[in-house]
Amino acid sequence: MVSPYAFDIPGGVQFHVRDLAERLLSQGHDVRVLAPADEDIDLPSYVDSAGRAVPVPYNGSVARLLFGPVTAARVARWIDRGEFDVLHVHEPFSPSVSMLAMMAADGAVVGTFHSSTMRSRALLTIMPVLGPQLEKLSGRIAVSPEALRTIHRHEGTADAVIIPNGVYVDRFASAPLAPHWQGTAQRPTIAFLGRLEEPRKGLAVLLEAMPALLHAMPGLRLLVAGPGDPRDLMRHTPATVQAATEFLGMVSEPDKASLLRSVDAYVAPNTGSESFGIILVEAMSAGVPVVASDLPSFADVLGGTAGALFRTADAESLAQAVLGVVRDPRLRTALSSSGAIRAREFDWDRVSADVMDVYETCRAARPYAVRTISAGRAKRALRGRS
Amino acid sequence: MGAVAWTAFVIALVALVAWYLSYTAARLDRLHTKVEGSVSALDAQLVRRAEVVREVAGSGALDPASSALLADAASASLDAADSTSPGEELRADGIGDQRAAVESTLTQVICTTLTPDVIAELRDENSGWPDVVERLRSAGQRVEIARRFHNDAVRDVRRLRHRPPVRFLRLAGHTALPSVIEFDDRLPDGL
Repeated sequence: MVSPYAFDIPGGVQFHVRDLAERLLSQGHDVRVLAPADEDIDLPSYVDSAGRAVPVPYNGSVARLLFGPVTAARVARWIDRGEFDVLHVHEPFSPSVSMLAMMAADGAVVGTFHSSTMRSRALLTIMPVLGPQLEKLSGRIAVSPEALRTIHRHEGTADAVIIPNGVYVDRFASAPLAPHWQGTAQRPTIAFLGRLEEPRKGLAVLLEAMPALLHAMPGLRLLVAGPGDPRDLMRHTPATVQAATEFLGMVSEPDKASLLRSVDAYVAPNTGSESFGIILVEAMSAGVPVVASDLPSFADVLGGTAGALFRTADAESLAQAVLGVVRDPRLRTALSSSGAIRAREFDWDRVSADVMDVYETCRAARPYAVRTISAGRAKRALRGRS
Repeated sequence: MGAVAWTAFVIALVALVAWYLSYTAARLDRLHTKVEGSVSALDAQLVRRAEVVREVAGSGALDPASSALLADAASASLDAADSTSPGEELRADGIGDQRAAVESTLTQVICTTLTPDVIAELRDENSGWPDVVERLRSAGQRVEIARRFHNDAVRDVRRLRHRPPVRFLRLAGHTALPSVIEFDDRLPDGL
């Protein structure tokens, strides 16, 4: 498997690659992961470093990517040495090792398309160059209907199977309850998770809705978990909101699961640029009712009945939706149980079996070890075939 | 422009055209190889699905009537697979309309006999059926995946082969133009 982003930096794609690799290893498969990484950090034993990632401005923020001829040669050597049955590149559109691996490889190559974030104009510019390279993929996976729509938009005829990102549902479903985060009838709790200063995560929208929420439910507590400095955001919020808001900082994975298990509602006020929304699945796994903005990707994940939606970036609509859920115990129970059923479809059990089906199908089409194109040509020439 | 400049320009142009043609030919060759692979993968997955269905039919897990229907449809699929045994024929023609119809029928029989209730029952029992159900799901899913990937590869080839230089210079040689394969490959609800 090839990850385009550095393994030591948290991110959805990296987590997905890590979890899938560990899942397949635990089933007895032989897995190697290639990813950019600094030399001095501890990598899991199944990860090979492709070299040190370089910070470059990309897609509206600074991404740590890895490219260039030296890297290309390193990626090619890694492919040839590995003699893999299947090469799985993640995010082949991102200008990093995944793209280089896809370009170099000949054989059963699977590509997973995660995000829908790349600027359309940039993609249209490079499509004439990238298009023929994408033909090297034996099969494509899109992580969501939204990701598939992005592929359709840019490549017209191309098709992919949808296999969602996976979650270890039981880790959330059986997480211990945390009494200090549990709500009571007078003091219900709602939670937000995400980087505080990232506008696309939408904490500002939630804070804007807080006065209305507190007016209707004076005892409401808002628990905010995630890295970042809250001072800027809180400067202009009323004192009542400040008093009702608790910042937990960055939380560990077990604490995150406990938090989601304990609160009365999880609010996802994201304003855009989410192609999946793994956090919604984690919340559903924990059995907490989800109240989310009506982004297409969120609507897809919730599948109609497993959560309450409000108009994206609309604080008034958010307040109404949250009130509706928090005040109605019957609705909460209904959302929680349909969410738990929905979450099963994203369990790694199911997801890794689906990925394995794709691997086997691609391997049936190209039943030889993946090799680099130049090496393949040389070998065929040696055997005297054109 | 002097004669030297003209000559240089013409040479550069010829080199560019030559590069484009050899690049396109290599790309076309790669795509044809991919289609050959994807159609044989689809063939293999169809056979696998029919084998699993026959196993379900012979297991005694279902009532005799459902078993008979499944066995009949699965055998028809295997017969169709035998008559287009792999090799040159399969590669050239893909999977023909007749075989596609047989596979649609098999899918429909699976969906009619394995209703959500029946599947839930098979899953619940502790007599070893859950494993068969799981294999059936996986086999059905692989057929779906294989057809999708194959059609994707076919569309790539067709797009490239419809380009004027490829058509007029016959870069594809005698290789038959592959066509997309359509048949009903949905999984039954609840599987």
